[in-house]
Amino acid sequence: MMGSLRRISAVASNTFLEAVRQKVFAVLLVFGLVLIYGANYFTEFSFQEQFKFLKDLGYAAISLTGLLVGLLGASQLIPGEIERRTILTALCRPLHRWEFIVGKYLGLAVLLGVMVGVMALAVGGVLGWKEAQLVAREGSDPAVAAAIQKEARDPRLLQAVLLVGVKLAVVAAVAVFFSTVATSTTFVIAMTLMVYLIGHLQSVAREQWLESGEVVQAGAKLFLAAVAFLVPDFNLYNLIDEIIAGNEVVWRSTLEVVGYSVVYITVLLTAASVVFEGRDI
Amino acid sequence: MSAAVQTERLRKEFPMGWFRGRVLALEGLDMEVQRGEVFGLLGPNGSGKSTAMKMILGLLRPTSGRAEVCGFRAGTIAARRQIGFLPENPYFPNFLTGMELVRYYGRLSGMGGSVLEKRIQELMELVRLGGEAGKRPLRTYSKGMLQRAGLAGAMVGDPEILLLDEPTAGVDPAGSREIRDLILELRGRGKTVIFSSHLLEQVEDVADRVIILHRGQKLREGRLEDLLTRKKEWEVSVQGLKEADRKELRGWLEKHGAEVVREGAPRERLEDYFLRSLPEEKRR
Ligand SMILES: Nc1ncnc2c1ncn2[C@@H]1O[C@H](COP(=O)(O)OP(=O)(O)OP(=O)(O)O)[C@@H](O)[C@H]1O
Ligand SMILES: [Mg+2]
Repeated sequence: MMGSLRRISAVASNTFLEAVRQKVFAVLLVFGLVLIYGANYFTEFSFQEQFKFLKDLGYAAISLTGLLVGLLGASQLIPGEIERRTILTALCRPLHRWEFIVGKYLGLAVLLGVMVGVMALAVGGVLGWKEAQLVAREGSDPAVAAAIQKEARDPRLLQAVLLVGVKLAVVAAVAVFFSTVATSTTFVIAMTLMVYLIGHLQSVAREQWLESGEVVQAGAKLFLAAVAFLVPDFNLYNLIDEIIAGNEVVWRSTLEVVGYSVVYITVLLTAASVVFEGRDI
Repeated sequence: MSAAVQTERLRKEFPMGWFRGRVLALEGLDMEVQRGEVFGLLGPNGSGKSTAMKMILGLLRPTSGRAEVCGFRAGTIAARRQIGFLPENPYFPNFLTGMELVRYYGRLSGMGGSVLEKRIQELMELVRLGGEAGKRPLRTYSKGMLQRAGLAGAMVGDPEILLLDEPTAGVDPAGSREIRDLILELRGRGKTVIFSSHLLEQVEDVADRVIILHRGQKLREGRLEDLLTRKKEWEVSVQGLKEADRKELRGWLEKHGAEVVREGAPRERLEDYFLRSLPEEKRR
């Protein structure tokens, strides 16, 4: 048990350090930060709209950057290591292959966590800055000042950050799964993007299909069920949009989505480990 | 006590895609390596040396047949705990320093704490990467240094068996000699060393026993002593024998029913000459 933890953390920290030293990830982070900072120059319209825009853009920046980091990171993890053959000197050690997979995933998850954290802080910083600007300009009326503050310091944004984080963690787990099957980086990226798209479309498609009034055959039902089981439902994370739109989202539903994500990640990593166990290196 | 490594009809085919059939890399290899032996796997490129080693480690699954390490099925954790492996042309995470590399491999083997730190110091000294050299990133290392760092990494868990795939490839003669000395030292400590090579002079110097592979098949197997000694011949090397006396000596030999097979001034091996030409401090 102790040994297992040690081995997993060795793989995880090595993965994280290796990623940190790659320029791509630094470039992506800078890209995200520039995008967030740029949103600050949008000064038309009412302050509500300005804040909404800031949050929207911040969310988009974090999602996009995180998605790219997850895709690139995961496709480097196993296919990359096999290509560079560094994997041989790791897998010949007395460690289980599942420990290797879990370690790799955790290294990537920590990387994603750090990036999301830094960008979330940046969004927070820009929101604070905007608040100061707006209060100085329009906040002579205490009621307006209070309203501005409420928009800028919405505690529900924490829920949104948590949700973005777990959504990206699920995407990374999907990518790690494909990287255990694949020999090529491109395959991993393409398959993960496909799952990402299907994951967003599936519930819409299912509702359309079921509500169209046509007789749904058993075969079709089975197919839908299979897709629903195999592909994570990314629409669950639409809670984030609710939060940004200023709607009430209780912690309970946030935590339910987090729980769903954790289950999915566990399933994906288990499947990845099973596939990887029998693979020739 | 079970053999260090034992394989039985070990076979590996690689699928080459849907229409191109399969490559037969190893064809029913029977091999047994005793504990404490230095064992050489010889053969030309593509003869299946690396494939055999990877199956002994469980990195490749055999198509059929089986392999055991100290009585444990190959590929199990118990089996891998007994083996330290140095792959051919190894690539390491090159942002790590030599010491960090050995630490990483130690932790992957479940080691940690002061035991590991002590072991790292010992090993870095042993492979002569102690002091400053061990604190430099691997990308600044020469090929020989990399290979020695890899060896230290392979030895970190103090395994009974060392599996070295072409440990001297790309290493200069002085470096190869160091690796050879290290192999002999390991044997002195009772370790088993299995290594592959196609540099035959080097194998000759260290191996107790060898197998010769060709296209995945075992051609020959045996103790070097038995394979290479010309039992019918006898060699004496002398100094200061005069020209005139040589003739007499030949006559004497003929009279006693011996046939002169070879005669002349023996040549030194290029390796020895090369190493002698280097300044003292480069030789060791
Ligand atoms: N992953 C693989 N996929 C397909 N064929 C392979 C694979 N690995 C090895 N082979 C084939 O198996 C055969 C044996 O290869 P192997 O690497 O074991 O030889 P080797 O004796 O180590 O050669 P070398 O001296 O060049 O290292 C070769 O024909 C090789 O092309
Ligand atoms: Mg080879």
